[in-house]
Amino acid sequence: MEKIMSEYTKVQRELIHLLHDAQSKFGYIPAQMISQISRELKISESEIFGVLTFYKAFTLKPRGEHLITICMGTACHVRGAPMILDEFERKLGIKAGETSEDNQFTLETVNCVGACALGPIAIADGDYHGQMKTREVDEIIKKLKQEKRKSSE
Amino acid sequence: MKVTIDGKKIEVEGKRTILEVAREKGIYIPSLCDHPRLTPFGGCRLCIVEIKEKGGYPPSCSTYVENGMEIKTRTPRLQNLRKEILELILSEHPNACLICSEKENCDEYKSTIRKVGEVTGCVLCSNNGRCELQDVVETLKIDKVRFPSVYRNLEVKKGDPFFDRDYNLCILCGRCVRVCQELRGAAAVSFIYRGSQAVVGTVLDLPLLESGCQFCGACVDVCPTGSLAERGIRYEDLPDERAKTICPFCSMGCELEIDLKKQKILSSKPSDEGAVNQGQACVRGRFLIKDVVHSPRRILMPLIRLNKELEEVSWEEALDFVAQKLKKFKGKNIALIASPHISCEENFLLRKFASEELKTENVDSSYRFSPLPRIDEMARENGFELNLNFEFKDISKAKTLFLTGEDIPKSHPIMWLEVLKAVQQGAKLIVASPTELSLNRYSSLWLQIKPGTEFYLFSFLSKLFFHEEQETKNPGIEGFDSFKDSLGEFDLSRVFEMTGITREELDEAFVLLREAEDAAFLFGTGLTQHPWGTQNVAALWNLALQAQAKIFPLGLENNLRGVSEIGHNSSDKGLNFNQILQAASSGELKALYLAGPVPYLKKANLEFLVIQDSFVNENFELADAVLPASTFAETDGTFINGEGRLQRFKRVIDPLGDAKPDWWIISQLARRMGSIGFPFKNPSEITKQMIKVIPGFSNISYADLEKGHKVFAQKKMKKEKSFLPVRHIDLNHNKSKKYPFLMILEYSLDYYRSLALSQENKGLKAIRDSRWIKVSPEDTEKLNLEQGERIVVESSSGKFKGFVKIDKSLPKGVLGASFLLSEDSEFSVNGLIPSVFQELHSLGMIPVKIKREK
Repeated sequence: MEKIMSEYTKVQRELIHLLHDAQSKFGYIPAQMISQISRELKISESEIFGVLTFYKAFTLKPRGEHLITICMGTACHVRGAPMILDEFERKLGIKAGETSEDNQFTLETVNCVGACALGPIAIADGDYHGQMKTREVDEIIKKLKQEKRKSSE
Repeated sequence: MKVTIDGKKIEVEGKRTILEVAREKGIYIPSLCDHPRLTPFGGCRLCIVEIKEKGGYPPSCSTYVENGMEIKTRTPRLQNLRKEILELILSEHPNACLICSEKENCDEYKSTIRKVGEVTGCVLCSNNGRCELQDVVETLKIDKVRFPSVYRNLEVKKGDPFFDRDYNLCILCGRCVRVCQELRGAAAVSFIYRGSQAVVGTVLDLPLLESGCQFCGACVDVCPTGSLAERGIRYEDLPDERAKTICPFCSMGCELEIDLKKQKILSSKPSDEGAVNQGQACVRGRFLIKDVVHSPRRILMPLIRLNKELEEVSWEEALDFVAQKLKKFKGKNIALIASPHISCEENFLLRKFASEELKTENVDSSYRFSPLPRIDEMARENGFELNLNFEFKDISKAKTLFLTGEDIPKSHPIMWLEVLKAVQQGAKLIVASPTELSLNRYSSLWLQIKPGTEFYLFSFLSKLFFHEEQETKNPGIEGFDSFKDSLGEFDLSRVFEMTGITREELDEAFVLLREAEDAAFLFGTGLTQHPWGTQNVAALWNLALQAQAKIFPLGLENNLRGVSEIGHNSSDKGLNFNQILQAASSGELKALYLAGPVPYLKKANLEFLVIQDSFVNENFELADAVLPASTFAETDGTFINGEGRLQRFKRVIDPLGDAKPDWWIISQLARRMGSIGFPFKNPSEITKQMIKVIPGFSNISYADLEKGHKVFAQKKMKKEKSFLPVRHIDLNHNKSKKYPFLMILEYSLDYYRSLALSQENKGLKAIRDSRWIKVSPEDTEKLNLEQGERIVVESSSGKFKGFVKIDKSLPKGVLGASFLLSEDSEFSVNGLIPSVFQELHSLGMIPVKIKREK
């Protein structure tokens, strides 16, 4: 944590960069990090909490080993994204936004990834799977279970 | 600049918003999120207007007027849009009652049905009748809401003191968030989550108690709905009367508005017109007035000790009894303790009574604990008069602020607002404090000094000033050379060892001070509480002269400046506060008249003790007579705040029970003792005499005072500036194996007369209990202590009890406790020292040990 801190000049506008680094390093924003950032950047804890709950990129709970993101943008939506999401939810036994009990999978939705031509899209640990069909869901999950988690960018 | 609003031609100067201008001219534009004291927000969109030759409907709260603008505020089109916007707002706010056709007839029942858990309509809401949203619905004549109603079903937050937070009623106007960030600098709440989930909340949704809230109530006062609701008036009806008074809890002198119902205080709010506070208050003024005035500890009948017990008697009997007895004690064998909590008039009478009737010079009061009289005394001892002619608002104009010896957002919240203004305008704030303070967020530099080493810090900084200019020119201020010489012993290589801060930090502080223009030094009891307090103040004084800074001593009690002005020219021949208490136990004194709070006089050896007070206290067991005095709310008078501003306050309610104002009691006693010098029928007559006699009031006209004009006590300057030589002191507070902790004291303002506020009010007790003993987390763990556990603190000469409060801000090895005169003796830090007080009104830092209470 100190290391992350030391990479930034201690000015308030660095808040989001700091949070991003912490998120990718820990997979979430630990609560004690908030008070530490508050002290260093001189922003109140409540204000920091306001920022980090505003952005979907930050989470307060650890995410699972594998992150699956389903695009729910308009184009994906009309091309069947809700069915893909349903299938993932059923197969993983969790709802969108949750993490499986064994801490293996986190399922999230996102409003558009900007690749509408490829819709419906699912992103599994950074790999884009375009023109998804429900029967491919199982494959993706199986594949993820075998793989070790790729290092996140 | 000329503009037209609704056909009315208006001349405007400066950068103003349309809404501001309209408000000033009495043109009503509905708005919910805007507030005159906050920055424009543009959230509610109700204040939209039409501007000729500009498209759309800009919000008037965040559109600035330009020359030639033709603005319309209430076209049918605008009214329709506003209605629709308001309907959208109402769809997420319980609205059944707002649009109910029966609402006129419903009034009679509302107070009883308010006790439901969920507020689903106005009749169930404690804000009914004082709600801005209701007013806007009324003006826009909304009779239906065409959107589906949404009840968010959020949990109502009831865990914090003083007010509930029901965000189901919140319209997200953001006023509370802005007032907390912009005006109060606490930023305890913020908008959290987003979109339809957005809500006002704290970090991790913790209670306010754990998120830096100071419970000033500013958010409650700006809330346009019942979302933030003061618990004390939850089930009360609307007030039938409103009166103004001056807050009696600290030396700021905030003006308050008191809501009354049938001569009972419902609540107190800061007054928008308050010269000092301008619509702001702190937890004491906002939430404690009612509990203090209507405290169950009030004494409402005179008591005298005829046999063994104190018995209730009539005023006639009590006054005759006391007058008879007092005649026997004259001169050196009697003393009188006055009070910095009562009016100038009453303090004036007490002094007059002492000199004319009791023929004694032994008059003093606890006001001497404050930094202001301490620095004044120091100046007088050195043959000059201190310039105390300042205004609090000067602080906001400072470019560099140096703060020591006080945590002002807690102790002087309204003074803090001035500091905050300065910082928001780019001023640098230097803080020297052994503990971490919430205001460090606003500081440019925090010097975490070892407890009690301020003296060294100031002297080292002074030394750097001399170093800077090798060929130091004597700036024509007296005492320069002897001061320079007296710093000889300070070896800059020992900075860290002596103060705990590094040389780099010292240099940084020095550079800030050297480059400072318009510097202001604020200091509190943290400096003056030590036996070497005078040295601390002298060192700060010298540094301020070098940095050309103004000094602002922070005060404790509300009328300490009044007491100081009134006692200013009296001789110093009499005993002072400590000496009186010591003489009372040694038997030197035979009789004592207590009109102000003192610690428990357990060892007192007196023939006669009179107590004139509003609240029951421990000393009653020694008293021969108790005269029930009314509180500030039940009498008229004048208080002088820390900047010397005289403020009249008027009676708010009739005296409770048989209590009588202090001035009445003293006048009656004097008359019964045969005096003709006390013919006063009301406090105004005393005021007139007082301003004639007291030198500090010589420039004051009674008419100005009566009319509420700005009136200041003035000091005539004799010779003002002089460096003071400092003595090198050894801070003799070494911890030992036997006493491994240092106890630092917070001189608490949380008392009024002999009432400890946190023992009277549950809310304040939750925020800061005067019985807490603060322990660092490291020490708590080491000693295996738990929060709230009862412990005993022991020094080499005494002990006292308290409850463990784990405090992250303390360094390890240091304990914190609050000192206030009205604390019960077992819980009072007075227990640590052998005599009641040491010389110089200081308890200092005491090496102690702690153990669990068996």
